[in-house]
Amino acid sequence: MKLDHFETTILFALVCSVILGLVTKKTDEERLRYGLYCFGCFMAALFGIGWTMRILHG
Amino acid sequence: MPATTVSAAPSAPLRQPYLLIPLAWFVPGAGHFLLGRKGRAAIVFGTVLVTFLVGASMRGPLFHPVDTGDVLSRLIQFGGFLGDLSSGIFYFAATFLGYGPPDVAGYSPDYGSKFIVAAGLLNILAIVDAFEISTRQKD
Repeated sequence: MKLDHFETTILFALVCSVILGLVTKKTDEERLRYGLYCFGCFMAALFGIGWTMRILHG
Repeated sequence: MPATTVSAAPSAPLRQPYLLIPLAWFVPGAGHFLLGRKGRAAIVFGTVLVTFLVGASMRGPLFHPVDTGDVLSRLIQFGGFLGDLSSGIFYFAATFLGYGPPDVAGYSPDYGSKFIVAAGLLNILAIVDAFEISTRQKD
């Protein structure tokens, strides 16, 4: 399997968010919400760090 | 007027918590399954399996504890080995089937090895969750 950096990071964020949502909260709704929150945080970090590197390195 | 006391009945563990740990380690999701959380067990099993398979399909090398090299290299190798081993049956199945690609340069095998370690770390999170459910620290 050959995935690029972006696809790999999205996949990694997805599997981590699933487990983090599963093991932390009490109700299914809370778990779903927390999983989506974690995925959003991963995405924010991905785009934030990505653009920061692009700006710094040109 | 006599004082009324409300005593909460001590909640007994659902199952033997320390028996769940090796079972949940060996088969990801087994801890939740034995506790009756079959849906969550399936999600844990599927997620750890997918993570491990993605790592393996990217030809990520497995870590092996080594006695040579500097302290940091040995620490990384040993920590990575523990992470690999935490996938339980998937790690043993892979090694039994002869999986062991060489450590070559390139981002794809590098990501692959991290995915395999991440599969084990996700399983550890699930083990802790199953342990806490069995001791009634959480639902």
